[in-house]
Amino acid sequence: MRRGLISWSRDEVPVSVLESRLAALQARMREEDLGAMLLYTSFARPSAVAWLTHFVPYWNEGLLAVLPTGAPTLLAAFSKRMHGWIRSVSHVGEVRSVSNLGREAADLVGRLPGAPRIGVLELDTLPWPVAEPLLDSGRRVLTDASALFASVRQPADETEIRLAQRAADIAARALGSIPIEATRTSQVLAAVEASARLDGAEEVLARLAPDLGTGTALRRIEGDMPLGARYALELSIAYKAAWARVVRSLSANAPQSWRRAQAWTSQWATGITGVAGGAPPGAIAFWTLEACVGSQPFSVVGSAIGPRGTVSAGTLACYSIQLQLQDGPWLSGGPVVVGGDGPGRLLA
Amino acid sequence: MPERLRAERRARLAAAMAAEGINLLVVAGNPWRSDYLRFAVDLTPVEGQVFAFVRREGPTRVIAEFPAEAARFRAEQGDLQVTWSTSPTEEAEAALRSLDGECVALAPLAAVPQRLATGPLRSTMAAATALLDRLMLRKSPLEIAAFRRAAALADEGYAVFCDAARVGRPEYALVADVEAFFRSRGCPENFQILGSGGREVRGMHPPTERRLAPGDLVTTELTPCVDGYYAQICRTLVIGTPSEPQRRAFSVYDEALAAGIAAVRPGATAGEVARAQNEVFRRHGLGEYVTSEYTRVRGHGLGLYVDGRPALLEDVGLVLEAGMTLIVHPNTYHPEVGYFVHGDSVRVTNEGCEVLTRTPRRLFSVAAG
Repeated sequence: MRRGLISWSRDEVPVSVLESRLAALQARMREEDLGAMLLYTSFARPSAVAWLTHFVPYWNEGLLAVLPTGAPTLLAAFSKRMHGWIRSVSHVGEVRSVSNLGREAADLVGRLPGAPRIGVLELDTLPWPVAEPLLDSGRRVLTDASALFASVRQPADETEIRLAQRAADIAARALGSIPIEATRTSQVLAAVEASARLDGAEEVLARLAPDLGTGTALRRIEGDMPLGARYALELSIAYKAAWARVVRSLSANAPQSWRRAQAWTSQWATGITGVAGGAPPGAIAFWTLEACVGSQPFSVVGSAIGPRGTVSAGTLACYSIQLQLQDGPWLSGGPVVVGGDGPGRLLA
Repeated sequence: MPERLRAERRARLAAAMAAEGINLLVVAGNPWRSDYLRFAVDLTPVEGQVFAFVRREGPTRVIAEFPAEAARFRAEQGDLQVTWSTSPTEEAEAALRSLDGECVALAPLAAVPQRLATGPLRSTMAAATALLDRLMLRKSPLEIAAFRRAAALADEGYAVFCDAARVGRPEYALVADVEAFFRSRGCPENFQILGSGGREVRGMHPPTERRLAPGDLVTTELTPCVDGYYAQICRTLVIGTPSEPQRRAFSVYDEALAAGIAAVRPGATAGEVARAQNEVFRRHGLGEYVTSEYTRVRGHGLGLYVDGRPALLEDVGLVLEAGMTLIVHPNTYHPEVGYFVHGDSVRVTNEGCEVLTRTPRRLFSVAAG
């Protein structure tokens, strides 16, 4: 659950940036002859609406209605009492408190002149309570607009890259706060949580492989577990709606092989769409490349077993890799701005 | 304990499926609505859509959206058949097509994606969701035990919150202290909102950068999760010595909370519990402030979801039964002092109810200096 700082700094996320993102989407909508676009947001799917408006619905849900011109309307399943808070953290036109998002959205698009097509981000996965009244109203043709949205979502602008850099820095400091003598998962998780939240993190999601000697699965820890001599921690940090995911293998006695692995991985990650950094120091057990292209903070855009689509230069992504070194498994990962003709840029 | 809970829930679900003639129940979930998935297969997604194909008998198939989640699910439960796909809904749809002649149902309404909901299982969703709701509303003794531990942890968390509330600290620092405490106790999740200030404060929200000041009312609801079960506490504290209006306000909320809890018993409706609280406000001339203009609910169900059924509202007719777990909270705006919260977690017993929150019902105060 979201429980960290949610605030909007106009210096860090200028209104002009949000409006330029919206304008890019509206231009594509006009090209595709869409009369409106609907974008769903919830705790699980906050990213598209946050990217356009800086609004994050913490525990609730909403639907953003974007017309080809003008400011978007936010339909929010919040009471009117929350309008002040919504206004303070986001840049939208009208805010409406509604009890039924789908029905209100159906009414809204139903009043549009003519018979325009309505684009819906991730139409297939729209939660049924929202989708049902929209579909049953039968007043407008709904079309999936996920590809359209993805076409404007990346490459990332410098504002988002700076926020992701800040998130990566928060993660780095959190990793540095882990007591060297930690022997339990609870010590690790408490330390990173305190550090990241006091540093202004909006969200901290941690998965931990407690003992690389027995397994590499990054687990959501319930309760407490002993740490092995070598363990790995994945931190997904949100800062002002931008996310960075960092994975590190940790040990009080880190072997030399890990340093070589990190050096190779940095080369590999920056050349992820180009030439890899020579032979890896161990077998590549698995890798993924994740980027924000829709409503979720991360989507898998490449992995060892697919998909293998082209990721455009300038995309803000996070790589994760697992190497099988001679002395055991090693996990790493971090945010990277994917390179084009030149190398990419590592943010952590 | 988690393994026993998992086995017990699985057995209850299998029996309910048998009673309804369902061979296979497809349960959808995501990081926001993970409760049904948790009940059915004991999985809590961190990211992405997840589908579990739960057979009345036999192995469960799970489709995840992320490879890390798939690896985690396999590590957590070796008997699950887990795959991942960047298009899990399409994958689930394909899996459903391959089932021929089986009695299949789909749930829950809140988490099923449109593409599956408009398929051949549309007509099964309401009944399958109701089946799970019935199972999830009345907790077993093992579930109550987990809820009880969560309530105890909420008490400890509130003590940490009080220690953290000092003049000059930003709201988010209080939440950082509480979250770090919960992680130190092995608690993976907590839902928390708060508010600080005076009459201008109309509700609670995620933490902001506002710094605490002398005279502030500081409200919070803490909702830690233990073995999947959430319990909640709501309390209000004052930075410095409470003023007379703050004390007067507290006495109204305290009376309303007591009245609400006194109304919790088997056979009572959720609406009666809400009405008992609201009547106190009306008697004090504050009836306007228990309308939707100023407040949302007078409490709600707790369990595998932080804001479950039933909502405690006067028009909700759901009849309480032993084994249900609730938060009773007459939280609302007070015209003299601002937004005020006060609430306890309870379980419905055969005789009435048991209050599981142990934190004293008082207006807390911390030093302003």
